[in-house]
Amino acid sequence: MKAAFVKALTRAAGEDPRVIFLTADLGFQIFDDYREKFGPRYINAGVAEAQMALAAAGLALEGWRPIIYSIASFVTARAYDQIRIAINYHQLPVLVVGAGGGYGYAHSGVTHHSVEDFALLSTLPGMTVTAPGDADEVAELVPQLLKLSGPSYMRIGRGGEPTFQSDAPVILGKARVLQDGKRIAVISTADSAYDVTAALKVLGQDGIRPAALQMHTVKPLDVDALHALAGRVDTLIVVEESLPGGGLYAGVIDWIMTSGATMHVRRLGPPDALALGSPHTGDLRKRLNYGANAVTEACRVAWNDSSLRRSSSGM
Amino acid sequence: MKSPDISALERAARRVRATCIQMAHDSRVGHVGSAFSSVDAIVALYHYWLNVSPNGPTRFDRDRFILSKGHGCTALYATLADCGFIPRELLECYAQNDSALPDHPCRHALPLLECSSGSLGHGLGIATGMLYGFRLDGNPARAVVLLSDGECNEGAVWESAMFAAAHKLDKLVALVDYNGLQAVARTDDIMGPTSIEEKFRGFGWNARTIDGNSMAAVTRALDEIPEAAGTPTVIVLKTRKGAGVSFIENEVFWHYRVPSADDLSRALAELGESPVHKAARP
Repeated sequence: MKAAFVKALTRAAGEDPRVIFLTADLGFQIFDDYREKFGPRYINAGVAEAQMALAAAGLALEGWRPIIYSIASFVTARAYDQIRIAINYHQLPVLVVGAGGGYGYAHSGVTHHSVEDFALLSTLPGMTVTAPGDADEVAELVPQLLKLSGPSYMRIGRGGEPTFQSDAPVILGKARVLQDGKRIAVISTADSAYDVTAALKVLGQDGIRPAALQMHTVKPLDVDALHALAGRVDTLIVVEESLPGGGLYAGVIDWIMTSGATMHVRRLGPPDALALGSPHTGDLRKRLNYGANAVTEACRVAWNDSSLRRSSSGM
Repeated sequence: MKSPDISALERAARRVRATCIQMAHDSRVGHVGSAFSSVDAIVALYHYWLNVSPNGPTRFDRDRFILSKGHGCTALYATLADCGFIPRELLECYAQNDSALPDHPCRHALPLLECSSGSLGHGLGIATGMLYGFRLDGNPARAVVLLSDGECNEGAVWESAMFAAAHKLDKLVALVDYNGLQAVARTDDIMGPTSIEEKFRGFGWNARTIDGNSMAAVTRALDEIPEAAGTPTVIVLKTRKGAGVSFIENEVFWHYRVPSADDLSRALAELGESPVHKAARP
């Protein structure tokens, strides 16, 4: 996803002379081409995330379209006050990009984990929060985010994430339907979408066909897509690499409680706990039970459990 | 260069102080001491030094002024009214519900402002972004940021100071209102033995300390800022919290104290000027 971001950034800067990029001293060599093309529209603010966010606010107040970039845990949490006050209070069109979000840098330890980013950024009024699932979604979302009149956040991976196949268009604020299905629906965000598509293949061989929605936009949540599921499915399985509070699951639960929809909801994702031990990302997903195998198993259980079906679900 | 009419500026400063204490009295919101200490600098900027005009308040090449110490905003509001940027009657609604003039400046409420403030440590960094962009656009505008000394406790101020020097933002002027007293303690006890001037100089800034409550000293220091020197400039304004009214000066409790009717009439008598929104109209 990182390479896709650099490519999308470079294209956007070529099309819009007001696009300007700031990094907090991260991205070794990957921005060399951008820098060569756009010179002073590349700013290394140093290991000073707060200053990077403040400078971006000043640029945006004067009509620029800044993009600020660092490792997700640093650009969100370290510069949170500056994002909240300088950028969000003014509702400025600054795009905050966090690399290696979730447990992308799991092996680097808790300092590099970013599983609070959805909660932190989603709680800011008017902030758009996105987490593309692969390089294609990054490429499609960047130009759309740069058209917003207000602030936005994009969590991307640390690089090398696999892509998944889908013909559904990537539209900011809209769920992407990865598969039509019935009885159960799997709802993913970020690169959990890949795990979901891997699970769907396995399940398909057994005749199990859940609906699958990729929520690359965490906020605003596409409640229309959720409404469309009501009456068609009994169980939602939410897969997220985020803490339980303030993420996609929390948004779905909020929708359930306020919409009157009656569905069972199951969450696959890390618990509200520190992920100690510096495991590798894939191992962590297995350990915490939200990787492809866990999705497959959860779908199988829900599909076969008749007690989860409502009397009205015979359609 | 035009030369400043010191006595006219001093009279404007007394008028602005009278306005500040009237606003604090009427609204029951304090911060009089913090407003008073920086009145001379704000009056000098708007009445003399800044390239701004109420006839073109959004001109692209206007100088940008950021009141980073947002809690001292009555001094800014009063000066904006005194200079014709906002209607004088607007001062009556200071700190009322849905006011254009809340007790910390809000750009949504008053779009004339360059930015909102109230949380310390943001203004300097915002100004660096503005100036970086101006350089790319060939815009000659300067930016002046007024910080409090307590604000310099914030780490972000020094991140911004480093950035400004590294990028040679020589159209940046920081004014630090060094009144020596923070909300609940003395600034020097918190910031250690190195002076604010030395700290900024160590970061590569052109730095000096002056009497910030002397109109002559303030205007001279502004006029002596070296142009195109490749370094940003800081002027540390050695001020007296509550300066201008004898019984308010250097009293810690005037950081938050709301003036009584008696305080107000004594202060107005001492200043010898009417608040700008109470004065008889010509």
